[in-house]
Amino acid sequence: MGKKQNRKVFIASGVATILMLLAIYSISTYTGSARTDAGISVILIPKVIDEDNDFWGAITEGARLAAQEKNIDLAIMGTAAETDVNGQNRIIEEAIEKKPNAIVLAPSAYEETVPYARKIQEAGIKLVIIDSKLSENLGAAFVATDNVEGGRKMSEFVKDDIDENSVIGIVGHVKGTSTAAEREQGIREGLGKYESQIADVVFCDSSYSKAFQVTCDMIEEHPDMNIIFGMNEYSAVGAARAVKALGLEQQITMVGFDSSLEEVEMLEAGVFDAIVVQRPMNMGYLGVSMAYQISLSTEMPQDIDSGSVLITSDTIYTEENQKLLFPFRESN
Amino acid sequence: MLGKKKSSYFKSLQGKINLSLLLIVAIAVISFMLISLQQSKKVIRETSVEYTAQLLKMVNENIDSYIGNMENIAQIVTGDSDVSSYLFSEGTVDALFGTRVEQEFKTLMESRKDIYNIGIIGENHRYLINDKETVMNPYANLEGQEWYQMALAGGESLTSSHVQNVVQNEYPWVVTLSKGILGPKDSGKRGVLFVDLNYSSIRNLCENLNLGTKGYVFILDAQGNLIYHPKQQLIYSGFWEEEFDKVQEIKNGTVYSKDKQRMYTVTRSDVTGWSVVGVTDEKEMLASLEKIKVLYYLMAVALIGVAMMLSVTLMDVITKPLFNLRETMKRVENGELDVEIKEPDSADEIADLVQSFKRMLAEIRQLIDRNVREQREKRKSELNALQAQINPHFLYNTLDSIIWMAEDGNTKDVVLMTSSLARLLRRSISNKNEIVTLREEVEYTQSYLVIQKMRYKDKLEYAFDLDERVLGIEIVKLLIQPLVENSIYHGLKYKENGKGMLAVSVAKEQDDIIIRVMDNGVGMTEEQLEHIFDERVIDHKRNGVGVLNVHRRIQLHYGPEYGLSFESEKGVGTTATIRIPYRTLGEV
Repeated sequence: MGKKQNRKVFIASGVATILMLLAIYSISTYTGSARTDAGISVILIPKVIDEDNDFWGAITEGARLAAQEKNIDLAIMGTAAETDVNGQNRIIEEAIEKKPNAIVLAPSAYEETVPYARKIQEAGIKLVIIDSKLSENLGAAFVATDNVEGGRKMSEFVKDDIDENSVIGIVGHVKGTSTAAEREQGIREGLGKYESQIADVVFCDSSYSKAFQVTCDMIEEHPDMNIIFGMNEYSAVGAARAVKALGLEQQITMVGFDSSLEEVEMLEAGVFDAIVVQRPMNMGYLGVSMAYQISLSTEMPQDIDSGSVLITSDTIYTEENQKLLFPFRESN
Repeated sequence: MLGKKKSSYFKSLQGKINLSLLLIVAIAVISFMLISLQQSKKVIRETSVEYTAQLLKMVNENIDSYIGNMENIAQIVTGDSDVSSYLFSEGTVDALFGTRVEQEFKTLMESRKDIYNIGIIGENHRYLINDKETVMNPYANLEGQEWYQMALAGGESLTSSHVQNVVQNEYPWVVTLSKGILGPKDSGKRGVLFVDLNYSSIRNLCENLNLGTKGYVFILDAQGNLIYHPKQQLIYSGFWEEEFDKVQEIKNGTVYSKDKQRMYTVTRSDVTGWSVVGVTDEKEMLASLEKIKVLYYLMAVALIGVAMMLSVTLMDVITKPLFNLRETMKRVENGELDVEIKEPDSADEIADLVQSFKRMLAEIRQLIDRNVREQREKRKSELNALQAQINPHFLYNTLDSIIWMAEDGNTKDVVLMTSSLARLLRRSISNKNEIVTLREEVEYTQSYLVIQKMRYKDKLEYAFDLDERVLGIEIVKLLIQPLVENSIYHGLKYKENGKGMLAVSVAKEQDDIIIRVMDNGVGMTEEQLEHIFDERVIDHKRNGVGVLNVHRRIQLHYGPEYGLSFESEKGVGTTATIRIPYRTLGEV
């Protein structure tokens, strides 16, 4: 009489048991491991791909570490020369074709890269800008060294030695670039009331020989100059070569920015009194990490400081600093 | 309503067994699954730990062999008299010593590609590193370096990984082993030997180790300094944390990070005191467990599904006969004693039960039948006994009639009447035989009517209309005579004028025999007709023998569809009709 009904009840109980089992399964699975490693793909476009370039090598290494840590499918695409703006723009278009979840871009040009960066966003791909700014505020995140802070570190190092008689010179890299402007701003902020002691600001267009030349000219013009800031590797090394050539290592306190083997040698030799170095590995790591996070959620645009460190001749060989100054290379 | 149904299901035997089975299977399957999973997890973890430890041991052995090799070199060099002579000879050094030492260094370095520098440095800053051409870095600041200081003090030191800046323009990553060199006795002169191991050999060991995509290896020296870590810079910047304290505490074995997501497998070398630590990602390690888990859960679901299906089918086999039995019992309860009981196919307990019930039911049926039969027999004999009695008034009256006729000398009539009476009495007394042929019954009735005719004279006329074909049929006796008697006493006797007519007809109508007794007596009102079978109105003078008795006996013998019926009209007459089947009694 109620036989069919009975069977329905029984089957319902069985199905309930099975559903319960599945529920337990999914709960145990989801509490056991949040399944976020959902195959995020990221393309990193540095300014240059160059085995011998420590800065970009470290960025790539940091990016790889982040990719490994979060199971990101990371591809790196780039040009062979930092100045190949058109080449990078082409590569951006290629990267968009590959439809990654996110692109981490170190723009080669302040202006010319903008339309291509916009294309990335228009294609629905998340964009993270690293290292250098664009003329427009694009990208969901900007990971770079806080250059104002870096500049401030430079000037704060020499602050104790400054008095009314100090003559300060600044050798910048490219006039009008954001990094040059920001570092100069930082130096001025750090100097505080001695800001007026800055006698001259010259630019070398990121060339060692021009840096050498403009420094010699500047010293000739201000023979009493006793503090020189070099605002990137080219300007710092070029200026240091000039100071060394003029034999003024003792008279002039030099603070450089960025590092190279030559710069470290001159720091060890006492030509530089200090240098401020960036943390490119952090930049790569944070850039890819941000790309990953943004791909998983909609986060507000933000700026992230990847950090900088001031190193003197005494601190070259600290555990931490030697890692920054002497990136390990297989060729050593 | 649903709840009610449900609860009734849970109360039913089928429900109980099915649900218990489901519960048992579910509990068994789930516990088996959980235990298996736990066990698998353990095995996977143990295997992983063992595998990792094996790899790390190899790394450690390699490092030990590198360091051992460096120590051998140190042993050879520090014991070399040429080295001592080169470092400590007074005045200018004989170029010969330098060449010999250089040659020795060359040989050593060619045999070991992992050695980056071999150098000796005297306290007097006389030095030889690799070869004579190599220039020492003027800014090297040896006194500020621990490996130099310790060796100079006569000890031996093994540095962590660091950038070696001793040679001008070269900044290689190395691990440095240093050892003091003593000058000739009492000279108080001291020197230092250092051997630089190319860091890439250690780094490669670690980088080439595969501990899964998220796993990696790091090395700590005896003091807890990092020798190698893939994320060293991130650690300094605070973007990556490693629980070095925990690792330092154990010499060999495994320890978990605070969040249980990373497992550290530590192997510490007795030679160097370095700890090679493998870091495995817990989730990654247990990734294969996820697959097993899916498999187990699917299996559990399938098993429970199969168990359910089996249980339903099994229950059909077990409970279907029970269910049938219950239905049958219900029908029996409702009085259907002649239900058909299906024989179960199996020979189990339920089959036994069904058999028992069947036997029981048969017994009941038999008992009831016997009871009915006995009751009927009893009733029949009672009725027969009553019927067999001849009304004494009739007897007296007849005898009186005979006396009067004898007194009148009417011998002929006396003979006729007496013989008729004798025939009647004989029939009545032959009580044993209650079955007679219709002919005999008719004859009996005729004898009776002869007597009555003689008594009532012209007041009674009668006639028989008999179908000869049916007279041979055997019937229950005394069916017709009581009706005739009834007609005479209740119909004709009270008729005031005209002749009383009585007609008896026996005819066959289809499969029945119809016997009619008609009179033109006073008849009955409808009310009388309605109460004709009521026992109360039975005339007690006639000892209750009458139409009711006839009717009952017909029904007892032939069944309820047969019997006696009356038609009557007041002042016109009455017709009594007997309907019995056309068959010899005893035939069914």
